[in-house]
Amino acid sequence: MSPASLRKDDRRSPGQPALTFRRVLIANRGEIAVRIIRACRELGVESVAVYSDADSSAGHVRLADHAVRIGPAAPSESYLRIDALLDAARISGAEAIHPGYGFLAERAEFARRVVEAGLTFIGPTAETIDALGDKLQARRLARAAGVPVVPGTLEPASIERPDELPPLVAEAERIGFPLLVKAAAGGGGRGMRRVERVKDLPTALLDGSHEAAAAFGDGRVYLEREIAPARHIEVQLLGDVTGKVIAIGERDCSLQRRHQKLVEEAPAPGLSPDERRGIHALAVAVASRAGLTNAATAEFLRAEDGSVHFLEVNTRLQVEHGVTELVTGLDIVREQLHLAAGHPLSRAAIEAAERAAEPRGHAIEVRISAEDPGNAFAPAPGTIRRWVMPAGPGVRVDTAVEAGDRVPPEYDNLIAKLMVHAGDRDDAVDRLARALAETEVGGIQTTVPFHRFVAAHPGFRRGELSTGWVTEHWDGPAEAERAQRLAGLAAAIAWARSQGSTASRRASLGDPDGAPSRPTDGRAEPSAWTRAALEAATDRWPG
Amino acid sequence: MAGLDGPGATTPRAPIDTGAVRVSFPGRAGNRGSSIVVEIGTDGQPVIDETPEPVTLVELGRDRHRLTTSVASHRVLIAPIPHPGGRAAGVERLEVVLDGWRFDVELEPEARARLRERATSARADVAHGGPLEVRAIIPGRVVSVDVASGDAIDAGGRLLVVEAMKMQNELRSPRAGTISRVAVGPGQTVDRGDLLVVVE
Repeated sequence: MSPASLRKDDRRSPGQPALTFRRVLIANRGEIAVRIIRACRELGVESVAVYSDADSSAGHVRLADHAVRIGPAAPSESYLRIDALLDAARISGAEAIHPGYGFLAERAEFARRVVEAGLTFIGPTAETIDALGDKLQARRLARAAGVPVVPGTLEPASIERPDELPPLVAEAERIGFPLLVKAAAGGGGRGMRRVERVKDLPTALLDGSHEAAAAFGDGRVYLEREIAPARHIEVQLLGDVTGKVIAIGERDCSLQRRHQKLVEEAPAPGLSPDERRGIHALAVAVASRAGLTNAATAEFLRAEDGSVHFLEVNTRLQVEHGVTELVTGLDIVREQLHLAAGHPLSRAAIEAAERAAEPRGHAIEVRISAEDPGNAFAPAPGTIRRWVMPAGPGVRVDTAVEAGDRVPPEYDNLIAKLMVHAGDRDDAVDRLARALAETEVGGIQTTVPFHRFVAAHPGFRRGELSTGWVTEHWDGPAEAERAQRLAGLAAAIAWARSQGSTASRRASLGDPDGAPSRPTDGRAEPSAWTRAALEAATDRWPG
Repeated sequence: MAGLDGPGATTPRAPIDTGAVRVSFPGRAGNRGSSIVVEIGTDGQPVIDETPEPVTLVELGRDRHRLTTSVASHRVLIAPIPHPGGRAAGVERLEVVLDGWRFDVELEPEARARLRERATSARADVAHGGPLEVRAIIPGRVVSVDVASGDAIDAGGRLLVVEAMKMQNELRSPRAGTISRVAVGPGQTVDRGDLLVVVE
């Protein structure tokens, strides 16, 4: 217990009680672990990082007050091991655990066992995670709360016996094609199948079910109408132990690729304050019914006609929470810590909720990932050689890496979140373009070229967003090819200059081997090849 | 890829201009083996296929450059790639990042590259259909190996699956032949460039 944390009690803002815990273990890695460590430090709470063998000198370990090794690189042997995490909490004396996002963040069993170990889980209760993690149960719950759900089924599709198929086909025809087969335990598009015709339905059901069973150990699938074109709009929620739930704003996360978000913004462009209030109210209705405490996000699809359909609730801190922080001024992780300590919703949070339909300016986030946008966003792990992140007015970068760090292949490839904030959306897009132009990453390929394309796209600037945007507009191989030609020209010019300068230096110094970066065969005399190149260069660069 | 073909194919008998440089992109998926030959005139202007390319490159310090074309201006990082194992004589390796696109670039005087190719093709004639080494293009973990030493393989046949960043990547044989060596097993972690399989 550091003196700093004791002093913190005396400086706390009026009306905000002291936290009941002094040391928090963060059961995660990467930028989100760093984000949580920062909130802890500002609150005078000590942070405990956990790490696998691949992360022993990773950014979150460098920044935390304490660090505990939890196992080998494979997630199943480290960040997904509940026993190892609970041991780490016991060894380090942590009194609460923040799960971050991904890994165990939405496993009810983890939340349950943290509490059984006598610790505080910084997130919704195991019961809420259970109720909302099952997509079918969440759909029934939303329906019961009077919230429109995406048209489809509310019970698992029976696919075991052939005679169960005809009623399902009738149901599918009622829902309408194209439709989606989705996994009840789903997430990240796994177990999902798009079906255009009735005759493809049986195969899609079986395939989807098998994939879901393999991924989640739960093969239950259901049917949902495909809403397209659609915008993905989600609402940030906070709840306290008294049962009060508030919405502090919405985000638009329509720019996705295979259900992975790439760009997020707050507020959702083009919505009137009344429309915002309407969606916020739907989100609060679902979350209240599920007994939400702490933080969660309700996701909706908005069709072109403006109708809004409930999709699911994520019972955790979202990757993209930062854009909401920028337009509300609220620190969501700080709120999470207070809510987990049993405090009522803070005055700051309630004020943010009151202003939620009229947020302060506009914020956009792009996810900088170690992926090749010229090659279907294939993973591109490796060692970062150069790392220059943008700064200046209205720019926030959440990251855990620096030059010299290795991006391990074992984990998620998100390496930085670049967020910008400005007075309105137009200015925010300008600021995003400016910030991306300052961004320099060497050693690995990142998604920066894609984000530059988005920031420069007239349709994006006009706010024409949909979940099909990336497929419709992005031709990665063509963009990469254009850049490759220019990169080749630049390299050739730079090479010619270096050859020329080497030649002139050597001529004046009379030293055949003294010049740096000049290829030799390691012999005292330059080889015939080097001499030929030298002569050629000298011919062209006489000075 | 228009304009990026090697000149050996299009102008095999052209007189060798020792001032030209061959710019190759060895690593990039989908563009493997592509190269351009650029001549740099005495005015510093690059020329490709006798067509001048109206670009200028301004050095800004600390590897930063600005490349200006007739339509746009681009930020370019140009840095030497460190070679722990020593570099091939006469070949310069650079990392070039243009507008966020990253390329490994190899530069070599065109005259030298042609002579090297002649020597290589002479060797290839002797060892026709020699062994082909399949190496890892990204670091990851081997999930499964589909072939064993002695197996026959078709061009495009699956060799193994490597998992990187939660994605499974299938590696397929670039040509038909016989597996002469399997250098890795399931569960093994591989680094970029590691030998995986040899096809003969």
